[in-house]
Amino acid sequence: MKRKLVFILMTVLSMAATVAVSAQQKPVSIVHWYWADNPAYSAQMQKIAADFNATNGKGIMVVAQEYPWDGGAYSETLFRAVMGGGGPDTSSFKLTSTPLFTANRLLANLDDFLAKWKDKDKIEPSLYDTMKKASGTKSVYVMPWNTQVLYVYYRPSLFRKAGVSVPKTYAEFLEACKKLTMDTNGDGKTDVYGFGMRGAKGGQEPWGSFIWARGGNFDNLATPQAIQGMQDFIDLYRNGYAPPTAPMDGFNEIIANFKSGKTAMTVHHIGSSIGMVDTFGDDVDAFPFPGGVGQWTSMGDTENILLASSKNKEAAFEWLAYLATGKGQEAWCVATGNVPVSRDVQQLPFFQNNRFMKVSIEGAPYAGIFPILDTTTEWINTIWPNTVAAALGGKMSAADAMKQLQIGLWGK
Amino acid sequence: MFPVAGPVAGCREIEGSAMHRRKFSPWPYLLIAPALITILAVVFFPVLNAILMSFQSYDLRRPSQIRFTGLANYATAMHDPLFWQALLKTVIWVAVGVGLQFVFGFMLALLLNRKFPGRGIVRSISLIPWVTPGVLIGLMWRWIFDGNYGVLNDLLMRLGLIHDKIPFLAQQSTAFPSVILTIIWQGIPFFALMLLAGLQGIPEELYDAASVDGANAFQRFFLITVPSLKNTIFVTTLLRIIWVANSVDVIFNLTEGGPAYSTQTLSVYVFNKGNTLNLGYASTMAILLALALALVAVPYLKKLFKAQEESR
Repeated sequence: MKRKLVFILMTVLSMAATVAVSAQQKPVSIVHWYWADNPAYSAQMQKIAADFNATNGKGIMVVAQEYPWDGGAYSETLFRAVMGGGGPDTSSFKLTSTPLFTANRLLANLDDFLAKWKDKDKIEPSLYDTMKKASGTKSVYVMPWNTQVLYVYYRPSLFRKAGVSVPKTYAEFLEACKKLTMDTNGDGKTDVYGFGMRGAKGGQEPWGSFIWARGGNFDNLATPQAIQGMQDFIDLYRNGYAPPTAPMDGFNEIIANFKSGKTAMTVHHIGSSIGMVDTFGDDVDAFPFPGGVGQWTSMGDTENILLASSKNKEAAFEWLAYLATGKGQEAWCVATGNVPVSRDVQQLPFFQNNRFMKVSIEGAPYAGIFPILDTTTEWINTIWPNTVAAALGGKMSAADAMKQLQIGLWGK
Repeated sequence: MFPVAGPVAGCREIEGSAMHRRKFSPWPYLLIAPALITILAVVFFPVLNAILMSFQSYDLRRPSQIRFTGLANYATAMHDPLFWQALLKTVIWVAVGVGLQFVFGFMLALLLNRKFPGRGIVRSISLIPWVTPGVLIGLMWRWIFDGNYGVLNDLLMRLGLIHDKIPFLAQQSTAFPSVILTIIWQGIPFFALMLLAGLQGIPEELYDAASVDGANAFQRFFLITVPSLKNTIFVTTLLRIIWVANSVDVIFNLTEGGPAYSTQTLSVYVFNKGNTLNLGYASTMAILLALALALVAVPYLKKLFKAQEESR
């Protein structure tokens, strides 16, 4: 009887041990959503996830799922998925969407995770402040990942052809747009446009530089200075220094136009630099958007979030930490050329010796973001492109357009 | 007095008992229950929800401010110039789009009804626009219309019809005609297919008899073909009016309603508002669009049913 009891006890204990071990080794699955600008970036994110899965040693399995950026509609896709009870554990994210997600309590508060995180200080404290500001609270809901400072790409060979030097002031920049607009084959038609203007969604970022260069700002878009900035933008188009398709040109179009030699300058961030160098080799360079009365350029950002609905928040934070300061940060920023948020990664030779990174860093002191309001998303997606298209098409004056944009953003 | 017995009373008794059995039998209800529940869940509930949201300030960007606001959204729509502009665009979009789809579809149906070598292949090819997804059509035509690299500009320049490339989708004057052209291209095969089926149902003897009576081709078409296809024309046109009025995919993928709202029909406006999460206002405009369509559809259907009754 005693032997039987011992046997049963041993069996139960060994079964319990087996269950405990298998529970410990049971992989925790984390679904991560992201967008990628091209197939190479897409493959890179899959590789980062695979590397993390192979090395984290905690049984965390990240399933990286790609969704299209779709001119910013990614944020709404994510929002709808999470509101509908689905969506991922973590996701790439734009800071401008923070009010929408926090207002609906969809984001996990990261304060406790950050307090316990050993690598917290590898990220600039000011970035955490920016994250707090975006949420309108004293808490961090968004994990910094990487930033992109907009600057002007240009073709040195076209500059030489037009006899133009790199603009140092806003006035020189406007003049360069004019001189770089050329009829290269003498058929009386423009073959190269000075400025690759973005009039579709996303165009508000380069447009903002014109507003600030004339002394305007985003607090009041209807000031004479801001209106003058808008007038410059309209004049570039109406005078034929930008392609006729500009009102509907988005990211793909401005990049395609620049790469095909149709435009001599265009504004984008370092994320495009690898593709530009692939196309032109040394015949592509960059300069910061020049200042006039004021100076501003857009600081694009790509962050990551941990959704409140995630059932594995600890594991999900491990993944976000890997992307922010671990190997994932280095791999992504090297592949895309984005500005890393990890100070350790910033010191790597790749970033110290990159000419586009240098321009990004030059622009950083005056780089900023648009006001993050609950109207911002609609303003960016619908109001700005349609209002500017009306102004470019001559259906609306610069003053009326700016008044409409002011009402659309601030409500008055 | 005994009740009158006889055949009539017997029939009543049988009918009564049959009715009694039908009335209390749960089977018919159980059999239609799955379909009914599905329809209630996927059609009735969302419609009811949309109606309720149209009476609320239902904006997910401001969830703390969601509340009942009565007819405020409807009043906003009445004072919204973009709503009226979108409504006008919708009327033009449907009238020109469906009208020309019908005309060209009829012509294609008449052509495909004739016997010629390779007719089967031509019939199959002509269906391509109809079976192509709207999103793909939008993307395809976006490149066709492209102001820098588009094939349409290239063709027109080679033919000497234009000297400078036209940014078809970037100009307010050409963007709307361009999207209408796209929807016409998409819808022609639908009319062609439906009318072709109708044409094949018209007895050949009618044409023979009319020819013997001296009717010319014009008379045969308007006195035999068109009246014979009346019901098909009614139904197909009504369906296309509803589909085209509600269509978002083609316009959204071509222009997203721009430039300067010049291609924004009411359904695209609803989609854009819904995308920016102002679901209350989006629902209001969707309800108004549904009512506007009902104004067209109800008299249309009444006339159709009346015509059918008369023909019996």
